Amino acid sequence: MRNLWLLLVVLPFLLSCTKKDDSTVATKSMPPELVVGTDAAYAPFESENADKSVEGFDIDLIQAVADKAGFKIKIINTPWEGLFNQLASGDRDILISAITINSERKKVMDFSEPYFEAVQLIALPLKSKVTKFTELRGLKIGVQTGTTGDEVVSGLLGKTDLNIKRFEGTPLALQELVNGGVDAVVADNGVVNNFLANNTKAFKTVADPSFAKEHYGIAVKKGNTELLNKINAALQAIKKDGTYQKIYDKYFGKK
Amino acid sequence: MFEWFRTDIIAEYMPLFIRGLWTTLTLTAIGVFFGTLLGLMLGLGKIARAERGPWRWPLKLFVKTPSQIYISFFRGTPLFVQILLIHFALVPWLIHAETGALISGEAALYLKREYGALISGSLALSLNSAAYIAEIFRAGIQSIDRGQTEAARSLGLNYYQTMRQIIIPQAFRRMLPPLGNEAITLLKDSSLVSAIGLAELAYAARTAAGAYARYWEPYLFISVIYLIITLGMSYVVHRLERKYQSV
Repeated sequence: MRNLWLLLVVLPFLLSCTKKDDSTVATKSMPPELVVGTDAAYAPFESENADKSVEGFDIDLIQAVADKAGFKIKIINTPWEGLFNQLASGDRDILISAITINSERKKVMDFSEPYFEAVQLIALPLKSKVTKFTELRGLKIGVQTGTTGDEVVSGLLGKTDLNIKRFEGTPLALQELVNGGVDAVVADNGVVNNFLANNTKAFKTVADPSFAKEHYGIAVKKGNTELLNKINAALQAIKKDGTYQKIYDKYFGKK
Repeated sequence: MFEWFRTDIIAEYMPLFIRGLWTTLTLTAIGVFFGTLLGLMLGLGKIARAERGPWRWPLKLFVKTPSQIYISFFRGTPLFVQILLIHFALVPWLIHAETGALISGEAALYLKREYGALISGSLALSLNSAAYIAEIFRAGIQSIDRGQTEAARSLGLNYYQTMRQIIIPQAFRRMLPPLGNEAITLLKDSSLVSAIGLAELAYAARTAAGAYARYWEPYLFISVIYLIITLGMSYVVHRLERKYQSV
């Protein structure tokens, strides 16, 4: 019995050693494998499917970019909180996770050309008469905690206003709208439209021109210009040859 | 100190924390009150039996077995799952503007809008604590020597009188510590209700953390608040125990 325990303790070490050997061999003979970090809880951009692999618009896109640019990638589901740190520390080479390009983030990482235009949408019950953002005053509004939607609604009503109902995910907030617990939800267009596509057409959406447009970018470590140029060139190429459109249509339908 | 602990974040979200504390206490009070009522019925239901006579089978089929199933379900599944199930499935089925089985139309709309999460949250906590409190009652009652019942019955008291005057007062003394525990557990478990968007203490902390991506300040702050309340509660339970021990 004692030997068995010993084996159980030692075996993982042995296995990890052999693994390490494999990878050193691999790096010598094959092109390097770049590690891509993504927070896979944001369908349809990235989500984890039943067999624990990550899928979504971002994933297909980065795969297409990698194929075009000629490097291999390994995608690792990484919680949002640790995402930016792991890029800085070198644990991840590339980040793609519906990351909005902004000046704050540009200080700590470099972004590719924008690959997706995001805008906040107001989701409303079909009968609702609301036509613009400012009319949401006095209504109960659902948002996902800490997102852009949370920020804009907090800006309108005040951060501690109890008419803001914060949920851990946008889909939960939208479900609450379907159930009648909130009067409106403010969230990213991609996620709202995905919910609409996968559920009965239970509500309508309103785009308010006052919402600033946001752009998602692929992030690399600050100063990694070589990789950034490769990514930008590949992005350009797949936009030109129709691959981008094909991926876009797969997740967001034809526009 | 001020470098790593930014008190300004706490100050900014103070209205939400205060409101959250109030909601947490309300949830706990509702959960303890209805949990005790329902738990007493379920606990008695689980041990109900008739040795013979026409009530033997109906009692087993309609009282004992349902109580057992209820208790098994609520003790055997996670509270978090129960909260989501009740809020996103059961309550919308009961209360919904168009398809509500219990309440529909304007009233449903108003209820869901103003009190939806509070209703679901307190319902989930009450139903859940009832299962645990039922077991506390059952154990307390069964711990009283059977001779007490037999003596009371031979004195001519009926079942209700026996329970009310002989068994429950004695059992209550033994049930006090676990009941106090259950109330404390309920207070802590009420933090799970933040998942359905009810603005209680944990929700306030999650909001502050989400806005600043800082975790020490809000969560340490509410930990201290929870700790103060639970210490207060155990003190009260302790005093009650001493009071009833001398009887």
